[in-house]
Amino acid sequence: MNQAFFPKKIPLFALIITLLIFGGCQKTSSENQPKQVAVIISTLNNPWFVVLAETAAAQAKSLGYEAKIFDSQNNTALETDHFENAIVSGFDAILFNPTDADGSVVNVLKAKEAGIPVFCMDREVNSSGAATSQILSDNYAGCVAIGKYFVQTIPKKPSGDAIKYVEILGLVGDNNTWNRSKGFHSVVDSYPAFKMVAQQSADFDRNKALEVVESILQAHPDIDGIFCGNDAMAMGAYQAVMAAGKTREIKVYGFDGALDVIESISNGKIMATGLQSPETMAKTAALYADDYFKGKRDFPQKMPVAVELVSQANIKDYSALIK
Amino acid sequence: MNKPGLKYGALLLLLAVVVYHSVYFKKLDEVKAKGARTQFDAAAYADAFWKTKLLPATTKATDLNTLIQALKTDKDQAFAAHSNAMSIGNIRYFLVKGQGKITAVRDQEVTVSLTNGPDIIVATEYIFGNAARDASGLISLTEFTNTMDLNNVSAEINQIIRKRVVAPFKTSVKTGMEVEFTGAIELNRAHLHTEAIEVIPISIRSVGT
Repeated sequence: MNQAFFPKKIPLFALIITLLIFGGCQKTSSENQPKQVAVIISTLNNPWFVVLAETAAAQAKSLGYEAKIFDSQNNTALETDHFENAIVSGFDAILFNPTDADGSVVNVLKAKEAGIPVFCMDREVNSSGAATSQILSDNYAGCVAIGKYFVQTIPKKPSGDAIKYVEILGLVGDNNTWNRSKGFHSVVDSYPAFKMVAQQSADFDRNKALEVVESILQAHPDIDGIFCGNDAMAMGAYQAVMAAGKTREIKVYGFDGALDVIESISNGKIMATGLQSPETMAKTAALYADDYFKGKRDFPQKMPVAVELVSQANIKDYSALIK
Repeated sequence: MNKPGLKYGALLLLLAVVVYHSVYFKKLDEVKAKGARTQFDAAAYADAFWKTKLLPATTKATDLNTLIQALKTDKDQAFAAHSNAMSIGNIRYFLVKGQGKITAVRDQEVTVSLTNGPDIIVATEYIFGNAARDASGLISLTEFTNTMDLNNVSAEINQIIRKRVVAPFKTSVKTGMEVEFTGAIELNRAHLHTEAIEVIPISIRSVGT
């Protein structure tokens, strides 16, 4: 009976031992592999976000991690697929530029449930505690600086008449749009001489801004200034002002720090912009992921990144950007 | 009355009691008012910060003349030793003190010629930004989950400066006056200009004759 028992049991015993050994080896091998970082970006169809993505991936790689970039193509459903893919594939952290402040929350929460930290870059999600940390441009403070420069540089009317201006907003559903607008108004609204005669959205789009400002100039040909929520719209607005032959009378201000606007400032055309730093946001997100892997957990919910005022007064400091 | 009728009646009564105590009706404006009361009070926070942290911290402010020299000698070391900021990037803030003579008074500012030092500007009109909030480094970012609360703290501190510091100063300021001041300054680490320093005053008073 014993002779009959051993031949049956030994292969089973050997199989278990083999599986344990190889399973153990597999685990050891996985532990030795570099951690994987997913870089999920709203769109790679815009050079600004390409810089954000590539800098984040490069910084993660320089810290010794594997990094892969996913393009959500401004599509929340595709973004969801990327998150599911990252979770299933065993990514260890996600550096994330959301497509939608509300629509992306569910994706971040899925990753959180799976124990994967998410670090938002440039755009936020509207849920406190969902992301491990959100590294965002200080849009409000940047536009406080622009608002101050706006008030300082638009000449007062000798007659004491109102100084008329227009605000061109970005996407009305985007938090950045309103943080910029609030920062600007926190200064300009302190001065009763400044009267906003029109406030319209141009969706952060240059051509829409051109059309919107052309239309506004029909109704308000006597405006003194235009504040735009991003530089693409500032370029469109300036084009409309130029077509109307009013570049001397109407001053245009933007936000972003786009190179064409910095060049325009250096040529004495657009008055000012707020220079954001996608590189700083991306590098910080990767460094935060590194800190997380090393055990840090007390991250600020939102980490602001300073925005620098680039104006006709200090353009020499930034001339290297356009050389 | 038969027994099943009594039983269902008792159950119905019990159900009615449970439903009555489970559902509450309140006026919407009362609920909104209660919600508003629980919101972050930036003005109260700024007032407490001003009195208990910022004003006491000015006793340890860096002498502006000394700071300007340090920035010229070793910029990186001076920024590392004396600056603060809640945001990351090139914009940094310093808590400073100084003494000098007012050499020009304009609508938006006064020029102060520092004792044994260069001319600097003290702002009296454009009191905006995060300099006064961040210069001491005494507010922690982790205290806040909502960045708009932080922005509102800056706005309220600036409002305190306008009312408690700038308004009384403007009533007595004149060229030739000797003053001592404390304040906050903003400098760009990558594009440093020490020749045009603007101080947001936290205190300023006439000294001497």
